[in-house]
Amino acid sequence: MSLFQNIYNWIDERIDLKTLQAKMLNEPMPGGSSYAYAFGSALLFIFIMQATTGIFLMFYYAPTADHAWQSTQYILKELDFGWLILSIHFWGSSAMVVMVVCHMLQVFVWGAFKKPREMVWIAGIFLFLIVMGFGFTGYLLPWDQRAFWATTVGVEIMDKAPIVGDFMARFLRGGPSAGAQTLSRFFVIHVMILPAALVIMFSLHLFFFRKAGPAGPFKAVKPVLEAKMEYFFPRQVYKDIVVMAGVFLAIATLAVVSPVELLDQASPEPTDYNPEPEWYFLFLFQLLRLKMFSGQLGEFLGAIALPGLFVLLLLSLPFINRNPERHPLKRPFAMSAVALLMVAIGVLTWMAIASRSQ
Amino acid sequence: MTIKIKSKVRCSDREVGEVSRVIIDPIAKSVSHIVVQTDGTERVVPIDGQAVLAEGLVQFGFPSSQMGQYPPLERGNYQQVKEVEIAGLERHLEVFPGEALVPVPTLERDLTRRAFFTNFTNAIGVVLALPLVYPVLRYLTFPMFPGYNNNWIRIGNINQVTDIDKPKQVKFEKTVKEGYLERKFQKSNWVVRMSDDVRKEIFHAKPIEYKDENGKVYWVDPPDNPVVVYSGKCPHLGCAYKWKENHKRFGKVFWCPCHLSIYDVGGKVLDGPAPRRLDVLPMRISGTGDIEIIDAEFKAGKDHMVRII
Repeated sequence: MSLFQNIYNWIDERIDLKTLQAKMLNEPMPGGSSYAYAFGSALLFIFIMQATTGIFLMFYYAPTADHAWQSTQYILKELDFGWLILSIHFWGSSAMVVMVVCHMLQVFVWGAFKKPREMVWIAGIFLFLIVMGFGFTGYLLPWDQRAFWATTVGVEIMDKAPIVGDFMARFLRGGPSAGAQTLSRFFVIHVMILPAALVIMFSLHLFFFRKAGPAGPFKAVKPVLEAKMEYFFPRQVYKDIVVMAGVFLAIATLAVVSPVELLDQASPEPTDYNPEPEWYFLFLFQLLRLKMFSGQLGEFLGAIALPGLFVLLLLSLPFINRNPERHPLKRPFAMSAVALLMVAIGVLTWMAIASRSQ
Repeated sequence: MTIKIKSKVRCSDREVGEVSRVIIDPIAKSVSHIVVQTDGTERVVPIDGQAVLAEGLVQFGFPSSQMGQYPPLERGNYQQVKEVEIAGLERHLEVFPGEALVPVPTLERDLTRRAFFTNFTNAIGVVLALPLVYPVLRYLTFPMFPGYNNNWIRIGNINQVTDIDKPKQVKFEKTVKEGYLERKFQKSNWVVRMSDDVRKEIFHAKPIEYKDENGKVYWVDPPDNPVVVYSGKCPHLGCAYKWKENHKRFGKVFWCPCHLSIYDVGGKVLDGPAPRRLDVLPMRISGTGDIEIIDAEFKAGKDHMVRII
């Protein structure tokens, strides 16, 4: 018996490792494995990558207003391959947002949020919000002009919430305006609070998913589901790894081709910099430019009410949409609504980009 | 009716053996076959409409001679339930090998004692956490409401602003203490030497009064000031706006690059989402012509001025 086998048996004797391993891997998937199911695993992969590169960045990064920009500059310009680690972390954040949206769209189109998977979906929405929170808080940390102004405007938006808005905005900023305290707070949220929240929420998400079981294809009858049934391991794990490799290649390529650029150090005097959020928030940014969202009330509607209602809609979706039908072609309203939403986000984003040169 | 392992299996003519195992359909999550131990062979027999289940008995309608047509169990093609993860299986499963029991410890049988300990566990938890709520809240909110700084800051000289109705961006250095950090940074505001029209638009022939949080007036900008100072912060969402000499639609305007709010030289909103006119700052001119301001900031997004700094 090999040494490895001996160690394995020793552990198995104590914690019943074989059963645990079998339980984790032998999950029958009705209708078999599919590349369409790989988004969740890809997200987990990107998160692990972000956590790893994030830890590497913390070896050199200093989260104080008088050194944040300088230490980022040091990582980017002086350290061997600092630019690579930072750029992978930077592009990883975009990849995370893209994958979250893909994952949600896939689950929506497959009707996999419906009974009995409501709790999986709800935990997923919280994960989506946590990912957006990561993007928003991480954006400030380089402490350059882009960072400072995106945060200044972003937190102002939160301030528009009724009753608690002012308190929440001041709490996040650690004062009435963005400054040194804001950087400290965003840092602790980005590297401690959100990772903990994500790990907890992800565990729940996976637990709920395992309890409900995979939904499988939206069409197909039982004999087909049975004939094509596969375990999670090895075919789905293989497909997951293929997608992860693709995601990694994409992120690495972007990091090499278009590494992070640090602008001037953060300052309440923007000189010729025109503030703009990260691309995945551009549609919200553009939304607030619309005439219908002008004035104090309009601003509340555009900045708080509309996004707030949208999140509420997402959370309550499995309870509003109770029709057990999962086939997308038999759910024309749901499909057109999501298509319209994606087109609207696309158009708003394009408008924001098109008006840059104005 | 549930199926028990070791139940007798009977065909239409005679008893053929007993149930040795059951086979579960992972999609339907119910028993699809039973394995019958008969004449030294284990055969896989489907449980469908033809089987009648009674206590300790599975009754088939077919004669025992047909038993041989069901395939023998190939054990390698199956796994134990504990080796796979089928969601919700336990709840659906209707197979009982008989109950396996564990005695409740004697001390756990007294329900009132259990309730006592449960309640006290919760109570002690609350008592431990409560005294920390207030200090932690104070600790975290400490820098949130720093109060106002009413110091006068020199931002330039009146001689630098000669052109009427042509705004001049004046940059100045501001020192701010944030916690343990004292930082110096550049800021800018806009100064306009007013024409009579603009003066009328801003002052309406009345002085502008600035009130503190208690409603007490701490400064008055008289309408006969030669210049007006605008806070450099856009009242929409706090970006820094710019002066444009050649806006396509409105000509000479203040223009915010963020959400495209547009103001005329008197600070009035011409277009875009801004909820109020540009903020006018407390200003005085010293004997030597220096322009001094209180660098107040006002909450963005409100239709009136709410001071925050």
